[in-house]
Amino acid sequence: MSISLKHLTKHYGTTHAVEDVSVEIAHNSLTAILGPSGSGKSTLLKLISGLESPDDGTVTIDGEDMTNIDPRHRDIGFCFQNYAPFRHMNVAKNVAFGLKVRKRSSSEIDTRVKELLALVRLEDKAKSFPSQLSGGERQRMALARALAIEPRVLLLDEPFGALDAVVRQELRQWVKELHAQMPVTTVLVTHDQQEAMEVADQLIVMRSGHVVQAGDPLALYESPATNFVHEFLGPSTMFLGEVTRPHDLELVSVYDGTAKGRITSIVSLGFEAQVTVELSDNTTTWVQLSRNELSKLGLRVALLVGVRRRADADF
Amino acid sequence: MKQTHRWAVRGVVLVYLAILIGLPVVFLIVKAFQHGFGPFWSQITQPEALSALLLSVEVAAIAVPVNAIVGVGAAILIARHNFLGRRAFDTVFDIPVAVSPVILGVALVLAYSRIGWFGAPLARVGIMVLFSPLGITLATMAVSLPYVLRSIVPVLLEVGTEQEQAARTLGAGRLRSFFQVTLPSIRWAVMYGITLTIARTLGEFGAVLVVSGNISGKTQTLPIYIYDDWDQRFDVLGSYSDALILALMSVIVLGILAVLRKRERKLRVDLA
Repeated sequence: MSISLKHLTKHYGTTHAVEDVSVEIAHNSLTAILGPSGSGKSTLLKLISGLESPDDGTVTIDGEDMTNIDPRHRDIGFCFQNYAPFRHMNVAKNVAFGLKVRKRSSSEIDTRVKELLALVRLEDKAKSFPSQLSGGERQRMALARALAIEPRVLLLDEPFGALDAVVRQELRQWVKELHAQMPVTTVLVTHDQQEAMEVADQLIVMRSGHVVQAGDPLALYESPATNFVHEFLGPSTMFLGEVTRPHDLELVSVYDGTAKGRITSIVSLGFEAQVTVELSDNTTTWVQLSRNELSKLGLRVALLVGVRRRADADF
Repeated sequence: MKQTHRWAVRGVVLVYLAILIGLPVVFLIVKAFQHGFGPFWSQITQPEALSALLLSVEVAAIAVPVNAIVGVGAAILIARHNFLGRRAFDTVFDIPVAVSPVILGVALVLAYSRIGWFGAPLARVGIMVLFSPLGITLATMAVSLPYVLRSIVPVLLEVGTEQEQAARTLGAGRLRSFFQVTLPSIRWAVMYGITLTIARTLGEFGAVLVVSGNISGKTQTLPIYIYDDWDQRFDVLGSYSDALILALMSVIVLGILAVLRKRERKLRVDLA
């Protein structure tokens, strides 16, 4: 189901949480709303779900105006940042909740719950209570509960925010596979650009309540509309007054560079190295090199070098 | 040194408790049974004593459920809704614990006497509030009003609204959300509040004395009957015996309270 947001606006007192946002989210896409904290991304998600109502603008799902429809009638699967499990119910009862509301027969509910628990790999936890689950398990339970109602749209608020790095990585991969296996229009909110680039096939970048740019991740990475998007989506540095990616620069001999300068530091991160250069115009830039390049060039601090854009850089 | 210090503190606390509560209760038990079980039993089975006990239980049977329902409703209003005058509304519930029960009793008399604002129209249709079980029930409800509310509000705030929102996105209406999500998550706090309300209801003296008119066998609750034995009839054995019964009821309530507190603590650990 496609989602269409038009001129959505939400203010809290004097805070403009969401300001005139218009954006289209394609059917069965996996879209990430990306932005720093306070950019309005979670509010936008709540507006789509109906848990918040907009001061202005419309929410349309699959051509149907949903702006004034109560969230309970929107058929939306919403996963909260802290998962919001029903703590007094076991995993199976949590997952069954939406089906019971829809008055399905108990045999149908049983089968469906079993299927869903298998899907999220929690078959052996059916009788456990949320307090007995790990963070990743709670997250998967919340997903199963949301998917149980066969939602038209799945909304995930910072789905991996509260998990440790390893589980996070696993779950990202898993969500992506799940989406491929069971396509449903999914919107997730994150402040982590790497997460967004890895999981999503569409990005919406937000800043102080506005959508700055939307599109597929690679296009945004390669042709960011603003310096903010450029800086937010990946490593960036200033070179001759322009924002650029440090891996699009290279170090050459003093005579071959478009600018020259002196190396002030070399930080080796294993597979890559960051070389900081103070240019002759007193600006500083940094260049990302592979380990091979670093050893081939024989660089050291205080050496005079030339800096230029790589020939294959996308400009 | 530290060890002795700790024992000294414990000793002081124990002596303090013994002087205030322990010894008087022991004396009460000894005195109630000083002539053996027979006289004790005949005291507590006197018709007036039994009717006082029955009235106390009847009043509690009405006051406790009413205050539980009002308490839960008001707690949800205070913790989940924002409205003009919420603070004032919140504060009103503290009046019964802040002012003396006697003052509440006097205020009820002013309002419900035959010439009072509410009392006059009620008297015209033949409803007598004062000097009747109805007045006693009203006075008891007034003094025990805040306990359920005060037990629930902090738990409601701690649990937060996310579970209720989740229920809503899953299609649940307000009633289902309340009974299947909100109420289960505050159930121990509700039980705790109800237990406190029972304890307060059974023991209430001041407000009830003012509105009841103290008619033996008709408008005497157990605490008032005990006081009458002591003060009016000079029947010390009677007052000791019935005081012991009242104390026993309170001990049972306290026992329930202790179990609930343990449960609630476990619940809080689960929440963390």
